[in-house]
Amino acid sequence: MHRLSTFLIGILLVFLTSWVGVVAYSSNKLGHLDPIADADTGGSLPPNLQGDAIAGQRVYASEGCIACHSQQVRQTSVTGTDIARGWGVRPSVARDYLRDSTAFLGSCRLGQDLSNVGIRLPDAKWHYRHLFHPGSVCEGSIMPAFSHLFEVRKIQGQRSDEALDLTGADAPKEGCEVVPTTDAKNLVAYLLSLRHDYPLPEAPVKKGAEATK
Amino acid sequence: MSNTTLSHHHDPESDGAKAVCIDASVRTPVLLLFGNALHWLVVASFLALLASVKLVAPGFLGGVAFLGYGRLSAIARDLFLYGWASQAAIAAGIWLMARLCNRTLGGVLLRTLINSAVVLWNLAVLLGTLAILAGYSTGVEWLEYPNWASAMLFLSFLMIGIWVVCLFDRRAGIESGGRAEPALWYLVAGFCCFPWVYGTANLLLTWKPLQASAQGAVQGWFCNGFLILWLLPVALGALYGLLPRISGQQLNRRNLAPLGFWLLILFGGWAGLARLIGGPIPAWMASAGVVAGVLFLIPILIVMINLLGLRRGGDNDGNITWQFLRGGLSFILTAGLLAALLAMPSVSAFARFTGVTVSLDLLWLFGAISFPLFGVIYASLPGLLGRECWSVSLSGLHYWLNFAGLCLLTTILILDGLFAGLALLDPVVSFLNITSYAQPFHVLEGAAWLLLLASTVIAAANFTRALAAERLFPKK
Ligand code: HEC
Repeated sequence: MHRLSTFLIGILLVFLTSWVGVVAYSSNKLGHLDPIADADTGGSLPPNLQGDAIAGQRVYASEGCIACHSQQVRQTSVTGTDIARGWGVRPSVARDYLRDSTAFLGSCRLGQDLSNVGIRLPDAKWHYRHLFHPGSVCEGSIMPAFSHLFEVRKIQGQRSDEALDLTGADAPKEGCEVVPTTDAKNLVAYLLSLRHDYPLPEAPVKKGAEATK
Repeated sequence: MSNTTLSHHHDPESDGAKAVCIDASVRTPVLLLFGNALHWLVVASFLALLASVKLVAPGFLGGVAFLGYGRLSAIARDLFLYGWASQAAIAAGIWLMARLCNRTLGGVLLRTLINSAVVLWNLAVLLGTLAILAGYSTGVEWLEYPNWASAMLFLSFLMIGIWVVCLFDRRAGIESGGRAEPALWYLVAGFCCFPWVYGTANLLLTWKPLQASAQGAVQGWFCNGFLILWLLPVALGALYGLLPRISGQQLNRRNLAPLGFWLLILFGGWAGLARLIGGPIPAWMASAGVVAGVLFLIPILIVMINLLGLRRGGDNDGNITWQFLRGGLSFILTAGLLAALLAMPSVSAFARFTGVTVSLDLLWLFGAISFPLFGVIYASLPGLLGRECWSVSLSGLHYWLNFAGLCLLTTILILDGLFAGLALLDPVVSFLNITSYAQPFHVLEGAAWLLLLASTVIAAANFTRALAAERLFPKK
């Protein structure tokens, strides 16, 4: 290791092994997966996302939900816990993320895994109340409140259908109501779209398996 | 440390003069970089403390959108990575390369270029931080800055890095066939890897994102590469460069050093896949991660064989640089062992996603990497300012608070992680139950962050005091 040029070639070659193996392989192979045709519905798997769910991903990124939530059900060869806890019916595979703009795999689980939260908690109203004040639906939750995704406004004529049913300290003043902003609606649409329960060739779903709470 | 500590030759008189010239030529950028890095470190520690308080009292600062836990923790981590560690590593790289190669930083043009790069770097960090606060995070972990801010960082690095790497060929003694020492290999490798790792990851994850199905492996590769291929080599450059000189002894089993170096670069790249064990990547990738993650112990052990035996006569405790470098060495060993454990599927199965994984990254960043960087700060300033400038009591306090805070934080996180990880294995125990038992751990984590914040405030105060002393107590 005398001259820079020879030294740099050495570094380059060693560095290239992982670069080619991980990065180039990923972008060439995993970056060009196709959806699978769904024989039952004539659609495709993973299903297409609606526009509001796509917009919801931006809110998920911007609020930093990834700091506490992962989105991956691990292989049963490594651990069966994720599935035993009802976080999914089968392990996640690369193709599951095909419709996402960013893969929110996450590295920390201060909260539950969310890959299948749309199956577990299919009620939008629950999510609104939870996001507005997690402690009100989950006693002692350490998830922060995302009340800034909601708007408190005077009731104009009739109370809005979207208004949250809040009780106790959360309830707004007389004559006011709390409604979700567009961001909150998009975010919840995205959360409800999170369901990886369809079978894929590389990730079949066992008959009779069902996500439980 | 005296000016002659870093010279190779036998004539201290002329080397001393040379060191003075070298220091004068790199003085402005190195002081700017170190100063900014330390001040970002204080800001980041404060935000990390706030975030940890929010885990104990979720209502604290509630309703302020831009201060949610998710944003705070992302901002704090990015400030640690880009504001503090990378910036301090660039400064350490400049000073070490110039001193070890015995060359000055020549030319007004080059100096202006480097100084503007420093400004650009800090502007990017500031704007990137504000962008996350305002909700423009990319949502990719460790790469939350919007694409224009990361492009600014990339450009700024190139403006400095190219010059640093080129010094390798201009080093003193090269004409007479002198071989480069291990410290130089590590520094050059680190400075080459930054643009590769950071550029590739940004290109494929934020500038022109790949299909999301391919992003997972690249994310894992990036996080590990950033720590192990960029920051750690600079820290090792500091250890290989300074420890033998301060102790006045030779490296132990110097012939093993090249093997250690090449294996570190090789396994460091692959070991990132161990972060995704069980995740949505092909099985062979996970296996490669396991193998590389465990074999990564070999280069770590070689570093230990080379450096752990170096001893200083008598007054070890008095020398703050020595203390920080030795501390860094022990954290490298600890982090290496923990990383190898976590790369085993049976351990990963319960420890992944818990405090144990968080703890590992903290050990790398705040121990293995930051301690040697502090060592360089303490070693370089007296030469750069041309006088003894440190307050001995502040330096000592900084070291002990930092050491205690980091040990407390990582130990608590590991205990918390083991507890939660093992409890999660039993599906009968509800998730909320487990979270509620973690509360006491979160309180202790907050206390540890308070210690770390105190230590960084002291470090920054010590630095500011060192610079200001000139004006407060002018030389007669
Ligand atoms: C401080 C970490 C933290 C952050 C940040 C966070 N969460 Fe949570 N989350 C939790 C915890 C802890 C729980 C479990 C307690 C509860 O349900 O409130 C949880 C639970 C949930 C649940 C219910 C899951 C289930 O299976 O019961 C959903 C849905 C959820 N979070 C969505 C989000 C979204 C969306 C964001 C970002 C806007 C977010 N979380 C940010 C910690 C966090």
